[in-house]
Amino acid sequence: MRRRHTEAVRRLYVTLVPGLLLGLTVVSEVAAVLLCWDLTSRFNTVMYAVSAVVMAGAGALVAARQPGNPIGWLFCVFALLNALMGDAALGWGLRAAAEGWPGVAVGEWLATTSWLPSGLGWILTFLLFPDGHLPSRRWLPVPWLGAVGFVLAVPGWSMSPDRTGEFVSGRNPLAVEALPTDALLSVGMTLFIGALLASAASLVVRFRRSTGDERQQLKWFAAAAAYASVALPTTFVLWSVTPGIELLAATAITALPLAACVAILRYRLYDIDVIVDRTVVYGTVTGMLAATYGLTTLVLGTRLRTGSGWVTAAATLVVAVAFRPLRDRVQDVVDRRFHRARYQAVRRMADFLEALRAGRAAPEEVQGVLRELTDDPRLELVVFLPESQLYVDVNGVPAADQQDEQRERIDVERAGLPIGRVLHRAATQQDQTLLRSLIETGGLAIEISRLHVELRRQLAEVQESRARIVNAGTEERRRLERDLHDGAQQRLVSIGLALRHAQHQLGTSTVEHATRTLDEAIVEVKLAIDELRELARGLSPAQLDAGLAPAFLDLARRVSVRVEVTAPRERFDRGIEAAAYFIGCEGLTNAVKHAQATSISLSARREDGRLIVTVIDNGIGGATPVPGSGLSGLSDRVAALGGALRIDSRRGAGTTLTAELPCGS
Amino acid sequence: MRIVIAEDQVLLRAGLGRLFADGGHDVVASLGDADSLPATVSSTDPDLVVVDIRMPPTFTDEGARAARELKRLHPSLGVLVLSQHIETTHTIDLISLGGFGYLLKDRVLEVDDFLSAAERVARGGSALDPHVVATLLSGRRGDDPLAALTDRERTVLQLMAEGLTNTGIAKRLHLSERTIEAHVRHLFTKLDMPDSEDDHRRVRAVLAHLSATQP
Repeated sequence: MRRRHTEAVRRLYVTLVPGLLLGLTVVSEVAAVLLCWDLTSRFNTVMYAVSAVVMAGAGALVAARQPGNPIGWLFCVFALLNALMGDAALGWGLRAAAEGWPGVAVGEWLATTSWLPSGLGWILTFLLFPDGHLPSRRWLPVPWLGAVGFVLAVPGWSMSPDRTGEFVSGRNPLAVEALPTDALLSVGMTLFIGALLASAASLVVRFRRSTGDERQQLKWFAAAAAYASVALPTTFVLWSVTPGIELLAATAITALPLAACVAILRYRLYDIDVIVDRTVVYGTVTGMLAATYGLTTLVLGTRLRTGSGWVTAAATLVVAVAFRPLRDRVQDVVDRRFHRARYQAVRRMADFLEALRAGRAAPEEVQGVLRELTDDPRLELVVFLPESQLYVDVNGVPAADQQDEQRERIDVERAGLPIGRVLHRAATQQDQTLLRSLIETGGLAIEISRLHVELRRQLAEVQESRARIVNAGTEERRRLERDLHDGAQQRLVSIGLALRHAQHQLGTSTVEHATRTLDEAIVEVKLAIDELRELARGLSPAQLDAGLAPAFLDLARRVSVRVEVTAPRERFDRGIEAAAYFIGCEGLTNAVKHAQATSISLSARREDGRLIVTVIDNGIGGATPVPGSGLSGLSDRVAALGGALRIDSRRGAGTTLTAELPCGS
Repeated sequence: MRIVIAEDQVLLRAGLGRLFADGGHDVVASLGDADSLPATVSSTDPDLVVVDIRMPPTFTDEGARAARELKRLHPSLGVLVLSQHIETTHTIDLISLGGFGYLLKDRVLEVDDFLSAAERVARGGSALDPHVVATLLSGRRGDDPLAALTDRERTVLQLMAEGLTNTGIAKRLHLSERTIEAHVRHLFTKLDMPDSEDDHRRVRAVLAHLSATQP
């Protein structure tokens, strides 16, 4: 109860607090915009407001989704600080000066100093992105250096008498002449900028070490940073030429928090590599086309001295014609640069196939190759065995649970038939594309592995069945030995004894006594003959001499239950006939002994080059082939002939035993 | 001689009973299984127990185990195990106890030999089926000391192993006892075995030699 309570409070806290911070930021920015309106550049006013709100929004989103990740909170807090100190305070300073309100100096001072906490925010962000931990313990001094630099630079900057242009009064009201502000500022800024550079370097180090998800996250951030690093200087240079260029700066400033937010929360949904790819391709193409256009206009304009309409048309034509081939060419170059990993991975797979063909590699190694090339050590390749409808790994072990939530799967098909499945960790679109092309390239190896596995399994099955057949033979011999020793042999011994006794009687007793003993002995002889006949019948079904139909009829006659027999008159291979006969025997025995059937149908018929033997009873059902049982032995006998045995025996629904034996055309 | 028979097959049991009765012996009890043997032996105090090696419930070696148990309880009791087949592992160590016999069932048709073997066992002697002895003697390597025996000495050794005394051997081979004694002396020297006047110890020595040198 208490636990649920605290959990609810925690949830409230992680949504409420970021929301509150975002709200405060929005309110501050609205105030800032209202205060600044018409007192400074409208564009700047709105741009800074939007960037702070975007940052606060991104921070709030991350903080609410991943309250354990400090990046979200960093963005929230520093966006609010920026809104209050940078924008709202600036607005107050300007408005107060214009309207004669008090607190001009405080507003101006805060706005002047606001870039320092912003910088500290970025130092921490660079160091902690994306997981909230330093890349390693060795980076621990960097935030401290930044903090010390910050502490020194704040008074060094804000209390310096040199700050004059920032204040309407032309004088820093908080200047303290006694402070060595120059020294403080130079030491502080050295540390501060050092920490900023180090934190940027930490991102590079992190990117180089990163793999998988983290790499994708860093790519997002790096893309935004790269854009900012191009856009901000460009803005700076072209500021005076076209004021519209400010838009670049605005997008650059908002892009960074947005990229961070996407990287942390949504990096799997969008493929950064495609965005980078397209940006680079179209950016380059645009630049080159613009240059071509400019050059064409210039050359034509000076050479031909004709009207600008013609020149423009010609330049446009050149650009239009050049567009497609240029784009293809650039795309090609970019592909080779950016998709090097994919290009090489596919090459590696092709090399592996080459090694496979040359006999230097085993097809089962394809799983290891896939693991290595996709950098997923848990990747698993399972192959499909159509005969048993099973998925097994490359060693033939049936694959365990395939419904793994952590992993995704790709079905492998060849000629429209399933041959396997690749289980891999949840991946980006790009990784999936790579994996698919690798699977496509390595399909042959997968198919060969599958055939290997199938062959090994069938071989193992054949070996097992052969062992069972040999055991069944041994068991049969043991039974015969018992029958002979305990049956016929004992009987013969007792007959011999009786004869000896009669002999004794002839010497000592009357002839009648001896005759009676001899009669007993003859009864024993008859029994012995019967026993031997039964024994011989078990060895080989003599009834089969006349064919399957008479043999089946003979079987039916020996059973106390009514048996309906249908069997063809034609003759089959002796092995097939014997198997059919034993199936009939076993089926009838089971039906009478175990299933308590009252009606049995025994049939054999030829169908599509197979002899189909069925024994159907109306008994209790529920029969299963236990190893070592008669049914299991039959199954082996049928399998040895290349046939199949099916038992359909639901409890209470009778038993149907069906054997299909190939018997030629 | 007072005899207890344990044999699960009714006809054979009856036949054995008649055989002993015809030979002038007294069958004091006939049993269908081995379980009640110790109790029956204690109550009837027989001279000889004839037991089938395979009996209910598992039909494997119930008789042999019962025989071992009986010899443990009554060391002087004669126990004759009847078997359908040749088997050497159980028998060799049991026969070294003395007062023990192991015969194939068809031996009973040689009534006189069978009865004398039974009497020998009851007196504390041994009886080992000729087939078992032949198995022990057969399939030997070329360097075996047995190869040095003459055919006659071999026959004498075989009969000794079966448990026969010099007198019995002489009677079987239609030779004089003195001749047999000479053969025995020779073969003991050839096999480097200590001779013994005691029939039982002699059998034991022969069997020990045979089973120890068995290939």
